[in-house]
Amino acid sequence: MKLTWKIAKWEFTRNFTNKQFLIGLLLTPIIMLLFAGVPQLISKLDKPQQEVFYVIDEISEFGQLVEAATDTNLKFVQYQGEQAELEELVLEEEATGYFILNQAFLKTGQVQVHTAEKKVVFKELQGLLSNLLQGLRVQEIGIKQEQVAYLTSPALLSSVQIGGESNGDQSNRIGVSIALAGIVLFLIFTSGAMLLQSALQEKQDRMAEIILSSVSSDNLMQGKIIGHFLLGISQLVLWLSIGLPAAWYFMDIPVWAMISLGQLPILIFFALTGYLLFAALFVGIGSTMTDMQSASNTQGMVFMLPMLGFIFVGPVISNPNGLAAQIGTFFPLTSPTITILRLGLAEVPTWELVVAAIILLVTTLLVIKAAAKLFRVGMLMYGKSASAAEMWKWMRY
Amino acid sequence: MNNTLDVKNINKTYNGVKVINDISFAVKAGEIMGIMGPNGAGKTTTIRMIMGITAPDQGELHFFLNGESRNRIPQASVGYLPEERGLYKEAKVMEILLFLSGLKGLDKVIARKRIMEWLEKFQLADKANSKVQQLSKGMAQKVQFIASVLHQPALVVLDEPFSGLDPVSQDIFKQEIRQLADQGMAILISSHQMNLVEEICNRIFIINKGEKVLYGPLQDIKAQYGSYQVNIIAEQEIPELTQSPLVQSFQRLGKKWSLVLKDNTAPAQFLATIPPEAPIDELSVARISLHDIFVRIAKGGSSDEINLENR
Repeated sequence: MKLTWKIAKWEFTRNFTNKQFLIGLLLTPIIMLLFAGVPQLISKLDKPQQEVFYVIDEISEFGQLVEAATDTNLKFVQYQGEQAELEELVLEEEATGYFILNQAFLKTGQVQVHTAEKKVVFKELQGLLSNLLQGLRVQEIGIKQEQVAYLTSPALLSSVQIGGESNGDQSNRIGVSIALAGIVLFLIFTSGAMLLQSALQEKQDRMAEIILSSVSSDNLMQGKIIGHFLLGISQLVLWLSIGLPAAWYFMDIPVWAMISLGQLPILIFFALTGYLLFAALFVGIGSTMTDMQSASNTQGMVFMLPMLGFIFVGPVISNPNGLAAQIGTFFPLTSPTITILRLGLAEVPTWELVVAAIILLVTTLLVIKAAAKLFRVGMLMYGKSASAAEMWKWMRY
Repeated sequence: MNNTLDVKNINKTYNGVKVINDISFAVKAGEIMGIMGPNGAGKTTTIRMIMGITAPDQGELHFFLNGESRNRIPQASVGYLPEERGLYKEAKVMEILLFLSGLKGLDKVIARKRIMEWLEKFQLADKANSKVQQLSKGMAQKVQFIASVLHQPALVVLDEPFSGLDPVSQDIFKQEIRQLADQGMAILISSHQMNLVEEICNRIFIINKGEKVLYGPLQDIKAQYGSYQVNIIAEQEIPELTQSPLVQSFQRLGKKWSLVLKDNTAPAQFLATIPPEAPIDELSVARISLHDIFVRIAKGGSSDEINLENR
C-alpha cells in the first residue's frame, strides 16, 4: 500500500506541475465562464431601444397614457397640427410612428398606427392602449377599479406533492441530480483520458520495466488510478469553487440551497464505484496499446462506453421508474450515471438500489482483476497494440 | 564467496516455442557474472524471470540475503537496468532519481546526497535540475545506471549496459561496475558485446537459442579452449605458415591473416618454426578471444557444451 501511495503521489505531482495541465486547469473555467456568462452580461447591458410615438389626442387622455408608460420603453409625444406635417416629422426625427386617439377608438377600440418602418411589433403598445380603453369604459359604465380587478383576477396554480416537497425544491433536486450525473461523467472522461495517456506514457518513455522492477504491476495500476482520481477531484474542486459562485452571480441559480442532500452517501457510492470501474477499464486497455493512433476498433469502442448512459437519459427523465430506467440502473456500465439521475427525479425503490449496488460492485471488482492481468502483460509489450484475441488470452492467463 | 542468486533449471515457453531450456547458474557476492549470447538467445527473458517480471514455467530462483534464502525477488535489494530503458522525458533528473530510489525504500535525505555524489562522478552535477529531454542519450544512460545502484542493492542486474555508449563512457561504466563488485555487490551483466564483457567479468554463462553453451570462470574457459591466435600482416601468400602442422585453421581478410594454433601448442613453439625470410610486416599472438570460442561452439551446436563450474 505504501508503494501504491508513492506511485499515486508521483502521478499527482508530475501532472499537477505539468505546464499543459496547469494551462488546461486555468483555461477551462475561463472558457466556460465566457460561454455561460458573456451572453448573460450582454443581455443585461443591451437594453432595448426606446420607441417614440407621436399622438394626436382628441379625447384628452394623453396624461393617462404617459403615466401608464412610465416603466416601459415607450415614449409618447403629443402633437397638435396637420397630419401631413406630422408624417414628415416622424420620418425626419426617426420616430417609430404616430396614432390618433379619437371617439372611434373609444367606441370600437380600433387604432391605426402609422409607422415609418414596414414592420413594427406593437405588443407593449397594444397592452397599454387596451388598459387605457378598459379604464375609460369602466369609468363610462360606473364600476370602481377595485371591482374590475376583483372580477378579472386569474386563477393561480401551484402543485404540492402529498407528503412531498414543493415544486421549487423538486426542480432544484432535478437540477442537482443532472449536475451530479454530469460531474461523474466528466470525471470519468477527463481522468480516464489522463489515465490512458499515463499508461501510454510509461510505455513510450520506456519506463515500465524500471518501475515494475521496484513495484508490482498491481501497485502501479492502483497508484495510477488513485493518483488520477485525486487529480480529477482537485481539478473539480478548483473549478467548482470558481463555477458555483459564478453561477450564483451571473445566472441567479441558488446553488447553496441545492447542495444540501440527504442521499449523499448513495450518490458518493455510485459515483466512486463508477469511477473505479471505468478507470480500471481505461488503464487496462491503455496498457495494451502502443499509442492513440494504433488503437484498434475494440480499444476505441471501450472509450465510448461511458457514453452508453446517454441512451437512457431521455426515457429516464420522461418515466423515472419505467423499464428503461430499471435496465439503466442495473446495467453496470450505465448504472453510476443513471442511478444518480434517477435519485433526483423520483423515489427509487430500495431493493433496486441494493441490487444495482451489488451488480456494480461485483462488476467493478471483476474488471479491476481483468485489467490488472491486461496491465501486467500489456505494460511490457512494445511496438504493437494487442488484438482482441491476445487480450482475451492474457485475461485467462 | 557466497551465492546471492541461484537460478535452478528454469524453463519458459512462449506460444509453444521453448525459449529457455533448463538453465542453471549462480551469481556470487562481489563478482561480475556475464550472461552472453547473440541477439534473441534468451538473455532478456532469463533476466525478466530473475526480476520477477515474468515467471518461469518450471524451475526455481533463490535469493540469499543476510543469511536468508527467499524464492521471491526482494525488490528493494535488487537494482535493475533493463534493455528497454527510458526515463520520463518531462521530469527533472533529481526528481526522477528521488522517485525511483523512494520506490526502493531509500530515505530522501540520504538519496539526495548519494544522487549528487553519483552525478559528480559522471560529471552530470550541473544537470541535476535539467529535464530528461535535455540530456544526450549517453547522459540519460548514466542517469539510468545511477537509478539502478543508488539504493546499494545486494544484486545488480544490468541488461546490455554498454549499448549506445561511446568508448570513453564505456570505460567509465566498466570502472564503476568493477568498483561496485569490489564493494561486495553481486553483478549480473548481459551483453552481446563479448569483448567488453570479457574485460570485466569473473565468470560467464553463454546462452544460445535458449540453451546453455558454456558456463564457468573466464580463465578456465580460455584454458579449456586453450588455443592461441596469431595475427599477421603480410602482403603476399605465406604458405610456410598457413600450412604448418601446428596451425588448425586460418582466415584471410586482405593483408590481414589470422591463424588459430592447434590445442596445446605454445606460442614459442610456433614462432620457432617461422623461417627468417617469411614476408611478414607485423605479427602478434593472443589467447583466442571469447568471441572466437563462442563462434566455434555456436556453429558446432550445443553438443560441445561444457561445464567448468565443478572443476
